[in-house]
Amino acid sequence: MSRRTPGPPWVVRLYRALVLVFFEAGFRTRHGQEMERLFVERHREVRERGGRLAFLVGAGFDVVRSGVATRLDARRTTRAAGMGPVRGDDRGGGGMDGLRKDARYALRTLWKNPGFTAIAVATIALGIGGNTAIFSVVRAVLMGPLPYEDAERLVMIHGEMRARGVTNFPMSPPDFRDIRDQSTVLEGVAAGFTFAQSLTGDGEPVQIQTGLVTHDFFDVLGVDPILGRGFTEVDTRPNEAGVQPGAPGALPTVVLLSHALWQQRFGGDPGALGRTIEVAGITAEVVGVMPPAFELLLPPSATVARDVDVWTAARIDYDNAPRTNVFLRVVGRLRDGATVEQAQAEMDRIAGDLTAAYEGKAAAGFALSVEPLVEGLTADVRPILLALFGAVGFVLLIACANVANLLLVRASAREREFAVRAAMGGSRRRLIRQMLIESGILAMIGAVVGVAIAAVGVQAILALVPSDLPRAGQVGIDGVVLGFTFLAALGSALVFGLVPALQGSRVDLADSLKDRGQAGTRSSVRLVRNAVVVGEVALSTVLLVGAGLMLRSFVELTAVDPGYDAEGVLTFDVSLPFGRYPQASDRDQAMGELQRRIGALPGVESVSAAFPLPLDGNLFNGRYGLEDALADPSAYRQAAYRAVRPGYLETMGTRVLEGRAFTEADHADSASVVVVDEKLARTLWPDASAVGERMLVRIVTPEPEWVEVIGVVEHQRSEGLAAEGMEQIYFTDRHAGAFASSWVVRAGVDPAVLVPALRRAVDAVDSDLPIASVRRFQDDLDEAMGPTTFALTLIGVFGVTALLLASVGLYGVLSYVVRQRTAEIGVRVAFGAEANNIMGLVVRQGLTLAALGLGLGLAVAVPLSGAVEAMLIGVAPTDPVTFLAVSGVFSLVAVAACVVPARRAMRIDPVQALREG
Amino acid sequence: MPFSDHPDAQSDVSRHLPLTPAVFEILLSLADGHRHGYAIMQTVEARTGGEVRLHAGTLYRALARLTEAQLIEELDSSSDGETDERRRYYALTPGGRDVAAAEARRLESQVGAARAQGLLEGTT
Repeated sequence: MSRRTPGPPWVVRLYRALVLVFFEAGFRTRHGQEMERLFVERHREVRERGGRLAFLVGAGFDVVRSGVATRLDARRTTRAAGMGPVRGDDRGGGGMDGLRKDARYALRTLWKNPGFTAIAVATIALGIGGNTAIFSVVRAVLMGPLPYEDAERLVMIHGEMRARGVTNFPMSPPDFRDIRDQSTVLEGVAAGFTFAQSLTGDGEPVQIQTGLVTHDFFDVLGVDPILGRGFTEVDTRPNEAGVQPGAPGALPTVVLLSHALWQQRFGGDPGALGRTIEVAGITAEVVGVMPPAFELLLPPSATVARDVDVWTAARIDYDNAPRTNVFLRVVGRLRDGATVEQAQAEMDRIAGDLTAAYEGKAAAGFALSVEPLVEGLTADVRPILLALFGAVGFVLLIACANVANLLLVRASAREREFAVRAAMGGSRRRLIRQMLIESGILAMIGAVVGVAIAAVGVQAILALVPSDLPRAGQVGIDGVVLGFTFLAALGSALVFGLVPALQGSRVDLADSLKDRGQAGTRSSVRLVRNAVVVGEVALSTVLLVGAGLMLRSFVELTAVDPGYDAEGVLTFDVSLPFGRYPQASDRDQAMGELQRRIGALPGVESVSAAFPLPLDGNLFNGRYGLEDALADPSAYRQAAYRAVRPGYLETMGTRVLEGRAFTEADHADSASVVVVDEKLARTLWPDASAVGERMLVRIVTPEPEWVEVIGVVEHQRSEGLAAEGMEQIYFTDRHAGAFASSWVVRAGVDPAVLVPALRRAVDAVDSDLPIASVRRFQDDLDEAMGPTTFALTLIGVFGVTALLLASVGLYGVLSYVVRQRTAEIGVRVAFGAEANNIMGLVVRQGLTLAALGLGLGLAVAVPLSGAVEAMLIGVAPTDPVTFLAVSGVFSLVAVAACVVPARRAMRIDPVQALREG
Repeated sequence: MPFSDHPDAQSDVSRHLPLTPAVFEILLSLADGHRHGYAIMQTVEARTGGEVRLHAGTLYRALARLTEAQLIEELDSSSDGETDERRRYYALTPGGRDVAAAEARRLESQVGAARAQGLLEGTT
């Protein structure tokens, strides 16, 4: 069903980058372009023929191997004037056989140094494991294919009301029809929306997600049912005016089932076709079943359910539907070769025509915006994931730096071994090869352990990811991820292996073989080691700044007063099907009965219902204005409407700032009174009290209606915790039309204890009503903090890992320095140097390195922190507090890393030192 | 043939031997005329029935080294009117032809030896 989209250019970009990194410059200039072309052509072939993964891994390996070889070629040519023999076997020396010998030798060496090997492998495994885990998430979420055909041609079309600051708005049926009929850039335009309804008729009623769509909705997405048929135009012809679905004389309702519901209700029986189910009291015929992997993956801004259980062909009367009633989410498919820009230009023209034709649209600043589906779907999480990917890449680099330092120490220690080999005719190339093979083996073992770490890490990450992360279910370690791991390991081996190999192989025979040849006193080695430590301190500084900024955002977020008290509040959904409760008064009466019954339950302090609840993702917006808006509709502004039953504000713990909340009497009369939030009161009546004032809204009638403000309450954070959100207007549910379906209960008892009693209370009112999504309101609040918590946790883990690795690196270098300078320190002590001076000597050196790294890191962090700006809340990317705190933490850790080697230096016995030195 | 006339010609040729399969295949693919990199790769792959598949890095590095050793040469791409200008074309030098031939003879003698030992009985 899903087809891979053509030409992912990231493969080519990756190849180009690898060539850039690994190949010698001269060779690259000469052959780079042709190599890339050959790669592209081969890639195209294997994509059609299969074996793409093997090809990509092979090509990656080839670039690394050949690239390094070209560098060695170049080095050799510049040194030796004459040309060596040309052999296809570029490994020289003993060829394949020698390679095996070297590998055996390397394994033996590693085996004989278990401490070193374990530390190096663990460090590398940590870095590679982290990268593998994050890459598997990035790949599934950002690069994974959508389960739609040619998904890159799919776009969302949103409405906008620019004069009222409203974007990502749904569309009215007539507007949708105009777009569909007039567009030439889009070859298909379809629409739909989702909402929860009850499924009855088989055991306990359950709440399910239903999707109402135009007949060609799945054609536009490019998805076919796996069983039965899709919708046709006949299925969507409107009923006669005034005839409700399911009522006598109504056209039949036909539905497609999700694969899951088909399994659950019909046990996967193909005979389900033609059978009926009862949705919200309406009997519907099953005509088909959707594929198992199908999900409705629209951008989060479209606020649709991702897993829809029942799809219904929507019978919409386009001729008589008002243009002010917006609920359709519109999806279009670009004609082959058409661009998003062309579609946007066309929508601008259509929106212009509509604005010219309909008065209200001009006042609202009506516009249409086109958003590529894939982009919109991942727009929220892309910056977080990329920042995490960058962070974990830093961790790997730091890990490599540590291992490089270990290898440098070992290369110094092994100088004599190398000198012997050189004396016996081993070429420098052989030595380099030997050491690179050791690095390669270390990296590969690290990769294997790393994959195991990643397998655990992925589970931990999945437990943390925000629940609305698209395609989270596809995250896993597969062939492509393993290919990435392999390349990461190879790259790491070169990063940490090359410098020590080049350094270590530069053997001065005469010097090293002398009896007391001192290992590793060369200043070049010291310089390299110092540079490596400065580099890793800088890298971890950058990471810590990132972690610090996220921590500040998290603290900001927890400090936000959301305008309600979530503690002890339980929420659940009970919606009364309009099919069986057609009259608002019937619904209101049933809800009143339910409210009374729940209120009487032991432990329940208060209960109410509303639509929508804060943070539940539902949209219910409307306009508001004063007298002047009657003459000039552009004076209207947009607010979030709330339909509430009495007791709602009290149950939520939202404080009344002025006036009063709704009473039973307000509700019973469906009086034209409203409660507004402080933000709206400030906007309309900045200098006076809002209570007693009148304003215009439009909630039940097409024409604006005057209502009186009876109270002002604190603002509720509704669209998330970070954003303040729109002004809010509360109506009595009776006034709004009696459809409050989200119930809130404040109780002093454990919610789980309450559920059976709630079930009985609902049954007493109507045993066909399902109770759905019972949850603690605090969970919604936690979920709203999800992305920030997620980013904070991971960046925090990476930051602390980086800090530890860097301090180990610093410690290692200083210990080594102390060992190196034992003789010198001994002399100083012998000449009466104070212990404190010796300590100062070592600490000073350590702190100089740390300070250099810290300075470098802070300088780099300033531009880089802009990358996480989208994730920051209430804190600037260059927040001085964070930068200072990171500097402080780092200085402390650096001092700690210096103290142990310094104390060792202090205890040096001059006699001993001088004898040894 | 200036290359073969050279007094050291014989040793010049033999110091290149034995060739790796990949290098031998590249020289073979150029035996009947000049080709660009992609065509060499395709010819090699077709001739060996997909047995030898050259990745870009290996191929171009081998070409560079063969050019350096003057076993093959790059053609002035403008000399061929219908070629895409960005592509480099390669051709065998006389020396390269000698080396390829010498390798072929070497392989042949090995095959002969194998046959003499009865390894290839029934297959010829």
